[in-house]
Amino acid sequence: MPESRAASFDHVVEEQVRIPCDGRDLCGSLAYPDRGEAHTWVLLAGPHPLLGGDLANNVVRAIQVALAGAGAITLSWNYGGVGGSDGGPEDWEAVTSAFWESGTFEEERGWVAEARHVQAYLRRQCDGPLVLIGYSFGCRVMMEGAAVDEANAFALISPNPNTVDFGKLAATAAPLLVVHSTNDFTCSVEALETWYTTLREPKTRILIDAGEHFFRGREDEVARSVLSFVDAIGYS
Amino acid sequence: MTKLERLIAPLGIDLPSAVADGRVIGMAGELPDSLPDDLLDGCRTIIHAAASTKFDADAAGEPARTNVLGTRRLLQLATSRRVERFVFVSTAFVCGRRGERIPESIDIAPPAHENAYERSKWEAEQLVWSWQSPERTSLIVRPSILFGDLATGRSTNFSGLYLIARATELLSRAVYDDSAIDPRHIALRILGSSEATTNVIPVCQAASTIVDLALSPHVESGVRHLAHPDPPTNDTIKQWLEAYFDIGGGVFADAAWPLDDLNSFEDVFYSLGNTVRDYFRNSASFDMSDRNAIDSCLPNMDQAWFNRCLDYALRTNWGRTENGRDTGRNGKGSVDPQWYFEEFLPWAVPQSAVAAMKALTTIVRFVLEGLHDGEWVCRFDQGRLMEVHRGRNGLREDFGYRITPEAFSRIVTGRAALQAVFFEGQADMLGQADLALRMVPIMSTFLKDFPVGSGGPHA
Repeated sequence: MPESRAASFDHVVEEQVRIPCDGRDLCGSLAYPDRGEAHTWVLLAGPHPLLGGDLANNVVRAIQVALAGAGAITLSWNYGGVGGSDGGPEDWEAVTSAFWESGTFEEERGWVAEARHVQAYLRRQCDGPLVLIGYSFGCRVMMEGAAVDEANAFALISPNPNTVDFGKLAATAAPLLVVHSTNDFTCSVEALETWYTTLREPKTRILIDAGEHFFRGREDEVARSVLSFVDAIGYS
Repeated sequence: MTKLERLIAPLGIDLPSAVADGRVIGMAGELPDSLPDDLLDGCRTIIHAAASTKFDADAAGEPARTNVLGTRRLLQLATSRRVERFVFVSTAFVCGRRGERIPESIDIAPPAHENAYERSKWEAEQLVWSWQSPERTSLIVRPSILFGDLATGRSTNFSGLYLIARATELLSRAVYDDSAIDPRHIALRILGSSEATTNVIPVCQAASTIVDLALSPHVESGVRHLAHPDPPTNDTIKQWLEAYFDIGGGVFADAAWPLDDLNSFEDVFYSLGNTVRDYFRNSASFDMSDRNAIDSCLPNMDQAWFNRCLDYALRTNWGRTENGRDTGRNGKGSVDPQWYFEEFLPWAVPQSAVAAMKALTTIVRFVLEGLHDGEWVCRFDQGRLMEVHRGRNGLREDFGYRITPEAFSRIVTGRAALQAVFFEGQADMLGQADLALRMVPIMSTFLKDFPVGSGGPHA
């Protein structure tokens, strides 16, 4: 269970945890209600580390606090090499250069692979339904890295079907939520619509009239959407 | 002012005058494959000191590209131009950091190297050694760790042992910022042995010895170590650093990175990376056939000299400004954007990691909201900052950023991260958002390495 206590919000306790990952440790944030028994477990994967993706991300933070406040145990983590997590690319200059050239690089696979270890860490402690939530790059992390077949529900925030293969969703019947901005530079509303129609049921889609991909000032709206979804499927 | 001019001006050398009267001929080029055809016309001796000092191999092929291919190319040119003497500045650690005494000879079998830099220098040595003939002299000089000038403490490079000093400074700042911590009893484990030595010599002594060897016609092909015959122990270096930064408590530990249960002091100290983690873990001793040249300066190589070097490093903020002045601020303490874009960036970008990004060819616009004529457009070509214009001046940007002047000052002084001001709503992107986003990590690295308030050209 958690190693150290870090902070306590209204009705939510947050603890910093060290998550074993292939011989190294990742820094995680475990948040849960300060009373009562939690019954839903949530794993959250954040946006790209080169774009400031860490535990403090506005969207990840808002969702984590909202779900924990509603009774879930939520776990998010810093990818390797970020904010106290061991590992990560050995040559940051090289990956920065590669990121400029193509928007992606080989070392991202290391971050993707972390999802399975973090999920296993959470699984060792949980016996209730598991919800996988990814935001932006975190959607790819969940689809490619996590054990999708173990999930009881999915929430994808700002997914980019142009670059990520979401084919694994077809093999599960777990309820799916897609939250998207009306003005997301990574994927137009039209492209999202086209992709969404190909997804199997049960599914829910929510469009948020946000300025862009980052939901600045709309974090609470995103969090409420996720919370409503979890409520509706009976996991809160 | 060119980089060379700026570097040697403090030595009292007026480069433009030397060029004007024919004593110096400047030639622009780049190793290994961009050298002017007439580079070696009339040249009899080459002192080859150009090198990449990257410890770890990168995607661009450094340090092998510059150090091995560059040396090979220069040797080919030397052969074709009938050069008689080739003096190659290598490193005393070219044989790795093995326990036994390192001989002044060429190792035929590759030793166990600590990093790609040492390996590249070893390979280059093999090339230089093979170049000698009855008509040609190959002289390989191997300086140990170079530190500042004996008299002034001046240096133009702040890697190696300077990184240990920087880490100590960071630690000192951290503990003095917290009144609850006793600065003389810091729980810091220093990875390595207290009795092992750090072979450090003044850069001036190494330079003058290299020149003497290059100009002495009787010196035959061979290897010369430029090392201290009686170097300080690691414990002595630690004591000097602790005394200078007024802290204490560090103890040497027989351990390797990564450390278990890293404490907050160690988190700060080792934040500068692998060089700091490995620095005291390995040491070496060196044979020296000709001690006379370097012995002359030994009496003065003491804590006072070490302190002079640290004084200089801090005065110039670890090389970020030549004379320690750091202006570019207006009366209210905020940064003058015109100074930043038109003077600071052209000075800093060539020294930064950005310059190595050959794929970076783009045009970026920066808009400072509410500022009259507050737009600057920067054109990058293969990592080089080719143009900075106030206003568009015909340049059409690929993307850009809009930012408030207050947030601009916070960002460029390192008081706020780019992402933080973006989420505060004080900055936004223009044009192609995906490119603007891809540029963010590049700018973040640059801003971390070159914050205003800690150096730069003076206004």
